[in-house]
Amino acid sequence: MTKNETATIEKQAAPILSGSSETREFPDWFREQQRAAWKQFESLPNPTRKDQAWRFANVGLLDLSPFEYGGTLTEKERATILEQSRGLEEVAGRMIFAGDELIERDVISDQLKKRGVIFQSLERAMVEHADVFRKHFMSQPAKLGSAKFAALHQALVSSGTFLYVPRGVEIELPIEIFHWLNGENASAFPHLLLVTDELAKVTVIEHFRSVNEHVPGFACGVNDLVAGPGAKVTYVCAQNWADNVVALQMNSTTVDHDASAMSLNLHLGSRYSRFESLSRLIGEGGRSDLLAVAVAKHEQEFDARTLQDHVSPHTASDLLYKNALDDRARTIFGGLIRVEPHAHFTDAYQKVRNLLLSDDAEANSMPGLEILADNVRCTHGATSGQIDEDELFYLRTRGIPVPVAQRLIVTGFLDEVVQRLDHPVISGHLHRMIEEKFTKNRENLLRRAG
Amino acid sequence: MKTETSAVDIDRNKGDFFYPEAHVRDAGAGLSERTVHYISDVKEDPDWVREFRLRGLKIFLEKPLPTHWASKDLEAIDFDKIRYYLSPGTEAKRSWDEVPDDIKRTFERLGIPEQERKFLAGVEAQFDSEAVYSNIKKAVGEQGVIFVGSTEGLKNYPEIFRKWFGKVIPIADNKFSALNSAVFSGGSFIYVPPGVKVKHPLQAYFRINAENFGQFERTLIIADEGSEVTYMEGCTAPKFNTPTLHSAVVELVALKGAKIQYITVQNWASNVFNLVTKRGLAQENAEVKWIDCNIGSRLTMKYPSVIMKGRKARGEVLSIALANDGQHQDTGAKMIHAADETTSNIISKSISIGKGRATYRGLVHVPKHLKNCKNNTECDALLINATSRTDTYPAITVRGTGNAVQHEASVSQVSTEQIFYMQQRGLTEAQAMSLSVNGFVNDLVRQFPMEYSVELKRLIELEMEGSVG
Amino acid sequence: MKELSIEKLHIAVGDQEIVRGLTLRIPRGEVHALMGPNGSGKSTLAKVLAGHPDYHVTAGKILMDGEDLLELEPDERARRGLFLAFQYPSEIPGVTIANFLRAALQSRLPEGEELEATDYYARLYEKMELLGMDRSFTSRAVNEGFSGGEKKRTEILQMAVLEPKYAVLDETDSGLDIDALKTVAHGVNSLRGPDLGILLITHYQRLLNYIVPDHVHVMVAGRIVRSGRKELALELEERGYDWARDAATEPAYR
Repeated sequence: MTKNETATIEKQAAPILSGSSETREFPDWFREQQRAAWKQFESLPNPTRKDQAWRFANVGLLDLSPFEYGGTLTEKERATILEQSRGLEEVAGRMIFAGDELIERDVISDQLKKRGVIFQSLERAMVEHADVFRKHFMSQPAKLGSAKFAALHQALVSSGTFLYVPRGVEIELPIEIFHWLNGENASAFPHLLLVTDELAKVTVIEHFRSVNEHVPGFACGVNDLVAGPGAKVTYVCAQNWADNVVALQMNSTTVDHDASAMSLNLHLGSRYSRFESLSRLIGEGGRSDLLAVAVAKHEQEFDARTLQDHVSPHTASDLLYKNALDDRARTIFGGLIRVEPHAHFTDAYQKVRNLLLSDDAEANSMPGLEILADNVRCTHGATSGQIDEDELFYLRTRGIPVPVAQRLIVTGFLDEVVQRLDHPVISGHLHRMIEEKFTKNRENLLRRAG
Repeated sequence: MKTETSAVDIDRNKGDFFYPEAHVRDAGAGLSERTVHYISDVKEDPDWVREFRLRGLKIFLEKPLPTHWASKDLEAIDFDKIRYYLSPGTEAKRSWDEVPDDIKRTFERLGIPEQERKFLAGVEAQFDSEAVYSNIKKAVGEQGVIFVGSTEGLKNYPEIFRKWFGKVIPIADNKFSALNSAVFSGGSFIYVPPGVKVKHPLQAYFRINAENFGQFERTLIIADEGSEVTYMEGCTAPKFNTPTLHSAVVELVALKGAKIQYITVQNWASNVFNLVTKRGLAQENAEVKWIDCNIGSRLTMKYPSVIMKGRKARGEVLSIALANDGQHQDTGAKMIHAADETTSNIISKSISIGKGRATYRGLVHVPKHLKNCKNNTECDALLINATSRTDTYPAITVRGTGNAVQHEASVSQVSTEQIFYMQQRGLTEAQAMSLSVNGFVNDLVRQFPMEYSVELKRLIELEMEGSVG
Repeated sequence: MKELSIEKLHIAVGDQEIVRGLTLRIPRGEVHALMGPNGSGKSTLAKVLAGHPDYHVTAGKILMDGEDLLELEPDERARRGLFLAFQYPSEIPGVTIANFLRAALQSRLPEGEELEATDYYARLYEKMELLGMDRSFTSRAVNEGFSGGEKKRTEILQMAVLEPKYAVLDETDSGLDIDALKTVAHGVNSLRGPDLGILLITHYQRLLNYIVPDHVHVMVAGRIVRSGRKELALELEERGYDWARDAATEPAYR
């Protein structure tokens, strides 16, 4: 792999709500779309709890006025970020973004390039591969409540990743992407556009991190994944923003015939994180797995909204979301399986499980079904409970102290989801991140006690 | 099953007949303060009731229709064309012989007097806005059980009535509870003294006979400490060309250790908007159980609720909905846990036939610092045709440790293999379908009281069989 | 003549022909075994006899006591006296065996006539005893959560109660251990008699040790390739289906 560092452009940070600062060179058509998106952002009302799509959400946290966007990294910050951008050992390609600026790129192998794989920044792709780009870029409307924020994203997005995998190409190693928030009230608009052609295969992992541990920040990202016929797409999000960040992420996955898409979203960081995941099954034989794990502590609120949209007959989807909640944390799950008319022979499952670890934690579940076809196998379930006392006792009789036993049980509970990934290296990485969150909290507690 | 024509159909012809109107009291079409004063004048309401009604009217006019989450079909209701009060201007009779002939014949055709003789402890029969017949078996009355119409209840037993009226369901709970509060008439008031266990059910029968009419009965049942009562309600209306509105409010109060079981067989004609608010309050160790069966109506929106306010209180909703062409059964349950060790159970089964749509909406709320609360929810939907629709929208909030809440839902259909198997044993396709549908609801129906489950199964079985061509 | 007669039958699923010119006659009072390897078309034949909608008869006839079965709906065939014991019986959630059989018997009565409950239960319990089934079984939903053996026994119970003229037993021995096999065979044997014709479809010879057939037919690739007395089954067991196939040059049916 060769390293291509991009040049830093000097620029001033500006408040988000002042609108697009237009510092980057973009094609006119893209600029035009951005202006239209800004108008849409301004015209759409702020969400309220009365909106079904925002039921139970703490919408008061969505005050965007403090946040700024743009700005420049110092050399020192840049060096720190690069040093800390450690994820997987072996990858097929890597991009590192700080404040929406691509600061480092490990390009893909010549062999993959020769076979037609495109791994580029958004701004280059929109010029060099305008056709594919324009066909797919933000082509899925944000149906799950965040149309306003999708518009904001489109208006202010200035970089991101474009990955195209042509017919029959299988990329064995994962592609890795980092997004960093740097500085107080900084913002980021992460974007990933992943298009796979027939029978292609790829795995992408995105890391979302903050340089500074407790400062406020704002992230508003969009992912569009397109799984072509028979393709296999695996997407992993490891969200670990700092604990004062407000984050919104709107993901859409389109699954063509005989394709399979699997996404796993790990939520550890942020103050409020809303995650919208739309999976559309548009071809027969398509399958989509939606997985998520959240570890919610302190005042954290994780707000997940999902739609498994079965458009075509003979499609399958399976959702498994697990939350562990401690302190005063809250989680919201609003999910819907929709089986459109004529999408007969659908298999759709949806399961959300909440493990409550404290008396002040709150779990809200809204698992929904809309079935407009028949010959459908469809079930959903939601459970909320706590650590089983017998299980805990059993571990204690083996000499394991209570906190360790609890941690074992909780990580075991969450691991069921992580293991579904069928990618031991990434599963191991996510598992360690989960463990770290528990140890970090213990250290904090010890520090506070001392 | 992909059958071209709907294989299953519920016949609601049993109630589809009417007699010419003979109303002396008529509030006219449309709703205004004048309407409310007319009703209050006719009913000789005390001042507090008149004020209560006016507040209801104000809130009703202020509140928007809940179309941001509910069906847009609500917009088809023309509130200006509805007549809000119609009555013959006579008091409820204690004997069927005194009931006017046409009305008596109506209830005879519906089999009410016969059932009364067979297994009921008391009957109230409401015709449009007022009860025309109200009677309680002597022995039950002698135990101190009160079973009268709501008007009589608020006049003759103000000290008990006022204490609970509008307390379980406040006027402003929703747009239709406000509407009911403004124009309510009819419905039952029941009080069961401490320790009294009413052996046989009390029955109310609601009949709409007039076109362009709205029925707004108001029921309040109070079971005092350690008492038990079962209440059954049935309803029918003829099928008019214009939509009819039925919007009741039912409040149940189960004091310490009391048990209330409330059973509904809703079989309105298929152009009735049935928008009902039902809620029960269960004190310590008390139990409120709703058995709710929705077969008729154009749009039903009804989510029986239980607020479990005392330790070890129990709430239960068992519901069956059958949605055929042109019908939307939007039903469900709400369970509010407000004390330790409270348990609730929801079992909902729906069947969508033809272009019918069945929706389950649920709410389970276990707030902070409660211990050992349990909820179990099961929703099963059966789809009969390719054009049928079913939705499930539960909302579950759980706070803290020490509680167990679980929700499960499934959607299934009657498979062609299953039908073929039964046909091989000699059953026609229609009989096979009917048997499968009955099998689907069977385990739930079995939990219903005997008289009721037999009746309900017979209704589903016979009427389905008879209607398949 | 009182017989179930299949003449030059051709059956297709989609554009694939599965049964190709099959001829077979089962007179009442006789037990005919139909043996054949997997995919020979045995189960297809069983389903077509019962009138399954997924299969198309492209040519040939099926007559039951002279009446054309192909003109009849599956339930009409059943009410005229044809019974199929399924290889994979369907589960019917919530419908008890008692209610199911009652409905099936009721459907055989003329309109307006009600099945007498006490007679019905007497008959049901008598047949259950014959099959060594516990009475509590009647309150279980049809085939729901049943073991393989319970399902097959329930099929035979239904046959006993419904008293058909012709019964087709499709792989009734599959999924049965030796004890269950004996019980089922005992049930079938006790129903044998001059008024019942049985077509016993099986892959293995072992069932024929317990239900001894009057005639044995071997079916390969959609046709009867050999017919004979009960000894044919043993010969087949010894020599395998390839032998039967190779010998198929002889006339298929006398």
